[in-house]
Amino acid sequence: MPPSTYAPVAATGVFTLTAWVVALPMIGAAILLLGGKRTNAWGHLLGCLAALGSFALGAVLFFSLLGKPGDARSYDQHVYTWIPVPGFSADAGFHLDQLSMTFVLLITGVGSLIHIYSVGYMAHDDNRRKFFAYLNLFLAAMLVLVLANNYLLLYAGWEGVGLASYLLIGFWQHKPSAAVAAKKAFIVNRVGDVGLSIAVMLMYTTFGGFAFTDVFNKAPGADRDTILGIGLMLLLGACAKSAQFPLQSWLLDAMEGPTPVSALIHAATMVTAGVYLIVRSHVIFDISPNARLLVTIVGAITLMMGAIIGCAKDDIKKALAGSTMSQIGYMVLGAGLGPIGYVFAIMHLVTHGFFKAGLFLGAGSVMHGMNDDVDMRHYGALRKYMPVTYVTFGLGYLAIIGCPPFSGFWSKDKIIEAAFAQGGTSGWVLGCTALLGALITAFYMTRVMLMTFFGEKRWVEDEQGHEAHPHESPKSMTIPMILLAVGSVFAGGLFSIGSSFANWLEPVTGRAEGHSPINTTVLSVITLVAVALGVGYAWRLYGTRTRPVPALAPAGSPLTRAARRDLYGDAFNEAAFMRTGQWLTRLLVYFDLRGVDGVVNGVAAGLGGSSSRFRRLQNGFVRSYALSMFGGAALLIAALLLVKA
Amino acid sequence: MNPDSYLYLSAILFSLGALGVLIRRDAIVVFMCIELMLNAANLAFVTFSRMHGRLDGQIFAFFTMVVAAAEVVVGLAIIITVFRTRRSASVDDANLLKY
Amino acid sequence: MPSILAASTAAASNTAPFTAPHVEWGKLSPMLIVLGAATMGVLVEAFAPRAARYRLQVGLTLLALAAAFAAVIALHDTPTSVAAAGAVAVDKTTLFFQGTILAISFIAVLVIAERRTEGGQDAFAAQGGSVPGSQQEREAVRAGWLTTEVYPLVLFSIGGMLLFPAANDLLTMFVALEVLSLPLYLVCGLARHRRLLSQEAALKYFLLGAFSSAFFLYGAALLYGYAGSVQLSNSDPHNPGIAQAVAAHAHGPALLYTGIALLGMGLLFKVGAAPFHMWTPDVYEGAPTPITGFMSAATKIAAFGALVRVLDVGLAGSVDVWRPVIEIVAILTMVVGGILALTQRNVKRMLAYSAILNAGYIIMALVSTGHDALASLLFFLPTYGIALVGSFAVVTLVRDAGGVEATDLSRWAGLGKSAPIPATLMSIFLLAFAGIPFTSIFVGKFAVFQAALAAGAPQLVIVAVLASAVAAFFYLRVIVVMFFSDPMPDGPTIANPSIAVKTALAVSALVTVAMGVAPAALLHLSNAAAVLAR
Repeated sequence: MPPSTYAPVAATGVFTLTAWVVALPMIGAAILLLGGKRTNAWGHLLGCLAALGSFALGAVLFFSLLGKPGDARSYDQHVYTWIPVPGFSADAGFHLDQLSMTFVLLITGVGSLIHIYSVGYMAHDDNRRKFFAYLNLFLAAMLVLVLANNYLLLYAGWEGVGLASYLLIGFWQHKPSAAVAAKKAFIVNRVGDVGLSIAVMLMYTTFGGFAFTDVFNKAPGADRDTILGIGLMLLLGACAKSAQFPLQSWLLDAMEGPTPVSALIHAATMVTAGVYLIVRSHVIFDISPNARLLVTIVGAITLMMGAIIGCAKDDIKKALAGSTMSQIGYMVLGAGLGPIGYVFAIMHLVTHGFFKAGLFLGAGSVMHGMNDDVDMRHYGALRKYMPVTYVTFGLGYLAIIGCPPFSGFWSKDKIIEAAFAQGGTSGWVLGCTALLGALITAFYMTRVMLMTFFGEKRWVEDEQGHEAHPHESPKSMTIPMILLAVGSVFAGGLFSIGSSFANWLEPVTGRAEGHSPINTTVLSVITLVAVALGVGYAWRLYGTRTRPVPALAPAGSPLTRAARRDLYGDAFNEAAFMRTGQWLTRLLVYFDLRGVDGVVNGVAAGLGGSSSRFRRLQNGFVRSYALSMFGGAALLIAALLLVKA
Repeated sequence: MNPDSYLYLSAILFSLGALGVLIRRDAIVVFMCIELMLNAANLAFVTFSRMHGRLDGQIFAFFTMVVAAAEVVVGLAIIITVFRTRRSASVDDANLLKY
Repeated sequence: MPSILAASTAAASNTAPFTAPHVEWGKLSPMLIVLGAATMGVLVEAFAPRAARYRLQVGLTLLALAAAFAAVIALHDTPTSVAAAGAVAVDKTTLFFQGTILAISFIAVLVIAERRTEGGQDAFAAQGGSVPGSQQEREAVRAGWLTTEVYPLVLFSIGGMLLFPAANDLLTMFVALEVLSLPLYLVCGLARHRRLLSQEAALKYFLLGAFSSAFFLYGAALLYGYAGSVQLSNSDPHNPGIAQAVAAHAHGPALLYTGIALLGMGLLFKVGAAPFHMWTPDVYEGAPTPITGFMSAATKIAAFGALVRVLDVGLAGSVDVWRPVIEIVAILTMVVGGILALTQRNVKRMLAYSAILNAGYIIMALVSTGHDALASLLFFLPTYGIALVGSFAVVTLVRDAGGVEATDLSRWAGLGKSAPIPATLMSIFLLAFAGIPFTSIFVGKFAVFQAALAAGAPQLVIVAVLASAVAAFFYLRVIVVMFFSDPMPDGPTIANPSIAVKTALAVSALVTVAMGVAPAALLHLSNAAAVLAR
């Protein structure tokens, strides 16, 4: 059952370190940004230190939390009160509980690894220091997002990660595609931000405050329609940030950013913020089944879309990005299932954080060795040349397709199970979708694996005529990959054996046991069969020597062509939003010119005109000033006597 | 004698002073009109003092005279400087700052 | 003093011996220090050799301000009381006003004392009495004379400002008003450049100021006639003050309301409220810019202190009558300030109109005599004042050929490129004036609007928000001109100021940002300080 009241205790002792978890990367970013070129020499080291320090603090907090009983792991740390005037409160504070703790460890842990990886990856970039500043900024904003104890601060973090993401996607501004992608991500995210801000305002008017304590404790007594409204607006925010249908289009383009960014922000952490938002606001969704239903639908659609797109992409990062969309679709689906799914959504989020970050770092390592070529059709046979990358990537691959006993198996299986356990028609539909998704996942990931590391070499010369000569990446890159691979292998098992992760999160999210219409063991077997089918089909298409992968993409089926174009996500946007938007603007312009604009221009002209006219009154003559004072005094007397009478 | 009459006189003097400020051009005369207003206030103070049977109004009048004297010092200094610069003490000539 | 008078009245009738009133020197020490230092400044002017005067005067002034500030700090937990036989109220509000005025004056004096921007010359005429363009003036300039009288004058003015919000009777208030105004009239006319404008500003300021103090005085006389006392409040039942008379609803309300109107006019003139605002743009433009910064901030703070004292202490009983009038004045002030600033091309004039607009916001906080409204006003004033001093300090840096300040907005084009630091500082102040979140004035406005809403004056808040929207236009226009247009080929030069001015600028900008990000401390302070001796 969900916890009945939400009553965190004030943080004392070691838990007052929570603020420092956020402060360290923030200070790091500030020093690097303000210090400018002076910090170039050691900027990357400072960035790594800030991230590692933050992770170390997170670990300390984690073990301190473990030392407390399960229902006493919820702490609030008041940091500061912004405007303490009567009738309004905007307190900023941090909230540490099992959910935020999980995120802190994921963000700082994966974040630290990616910081270290970037030292090698960005070694030749002139702006490496700025890159680390942005990474630190991102960490700080993301930590604010997950540690906030109220929605206003959460919103601030939300905008902060959006900003950091924008800066990092467009980090290589000299590439027009990167600049465009950054802009696109920014604009699409605005839509979601509007949703979230409306939700926050609704909360303030409904509950009289932004704090989680206000919202969660007062929500059960509030009007159901308002709750539904808040839920839908939160979902809109989540859709944009987590690249869910219909706001998914930006994520694929976001791969223009440097690969560590894709790994950290667009795979492991930021894009999962939507899932965090839904699970954190579970009180809202618990009492609004309609909002939850919509969440599951969005999740299911996205998981299929992402998987299909992943099948058709030849760009290794875009294939992985499609996969990210799909996997987050799983999480959103899980979160939409309510108390039976929250725990597994978060669990999948964490395991996904490990293996997807690992896969991206692997992809980055491959690109590093292949002159930054991203086209998988130009790869092949790399396993001999990049053994470490091959093994770590392979482990991540096994984890994502859900091969037992790797991480993904445990978490994805549980979500599929929970989907069936939803019961009724929707349970069957969602369950089958999730199952089919698992099959397609196995297919496209096998495809990526085979095209990259197996088969014949299909390397091409780059534009300068340099022959690709793949080589293993430096230690600073491979060690993070190895560590992430270890996580991909063991995390799932560690979390699931004895339901340790579920027990850990239960006091926050509540938990309910579903009753699956299919026996769980049977369901696991069915899932494994689906995965095997996917792998086998991909092997038949890309693995056998008789049918080598063409270096140029074949025409492909209509579905493939559609998937290559992101399932017409942009076309859809264009038709649904841009065209109608243009129509709307034209319509608006029409009325605008006659009505609104007339009013606005009229007001502006009126103000300007009256300004010009009235300033003539200021004619420079002392005597007319005195007259105005005299008249004013007379008016004051008259007004006072009038009021009195 | 009815002290109200002094109040009426004081009001008339005050209004005359204010009127003088509004219609006279010479800065010195304008300034004298302001002094007239101050003295009208003094008359009112003294009259009220008498009516209330208290002394504080009379003391106030003394303070006003001292302040007015200080004001004369400052005011004449400014007016003379302006006159020396512009060769004119008309307040309407000082009209560079406007709009 | 009035109780002295009461005592002497008694003496007249009972032939009892006259007893000297008890004066609490300690509680008056901030004012005594400043006025004492001002007197010493006069002696310095008379006896110290010319070469040493500048250093002596500046040192003396800053020392006095710091010492007075320390005295305010030392007094901070004095129980609410009246000193000097009921003439001066020493309460938390008084101390807050005095501390604010002293802090802002200190920063302003750092800018006033600047000599480096013009190569050893300060912003004041070499010899105030010399005719512009005359041989005498040229000789004075060549001799390198400085008008160091400015410092004692400023100190006297500050002394008056310290007394103004503390005055508990109308006589003390009138004297304070004159002590703060008279020196300002003089220093307004002492600009080194554009002396004609400066002298004209002094003349206008003087004539209109004297005119308004005549109204103040007549209002005081009428209130005295109504109440039989010039004390704002006196809890002694044998010797009731104005507040007690108002509460008792004694005879002759016409006398009372005419008195309120005239007295109020004198005070509203000082804060620059419409329709008594017309002196502000002319005087702000003509006066030496460091003085403009000083008086626009400090005078306004002191005058609001006096307004608060008169309305909340003396006239709280008739709040129903004066409140609608204050509301009208607030609306009028905001409208006039907002609209007239729109078409200003001169930065100093634009800031003057913006000061009128902001006076309108602050007047909003006067509609309620409650604690929250006063607390919001107390928060607004220092944040606004410090940003104002800072913005005028930036204006002093932008110079055309010959050392004349380039105040025309078009001359500021491209300043963001040629002088990024001053342009950025100016932008911080302007963004604060525009009420952008995370600047001090945003918080101040927020508090004031909230207080006005709580006082049941939503119409004021609506006007204020509309005025803010209009105001954002002319504030942001300056930023746009600075950062988004190309520098002029013969653009102004940016003076490299001394460390003192740099400090003043840095402190102003820092406070402006810090009070927006973490205003809690000052809000708590202003909340705690909103206690009046009634």
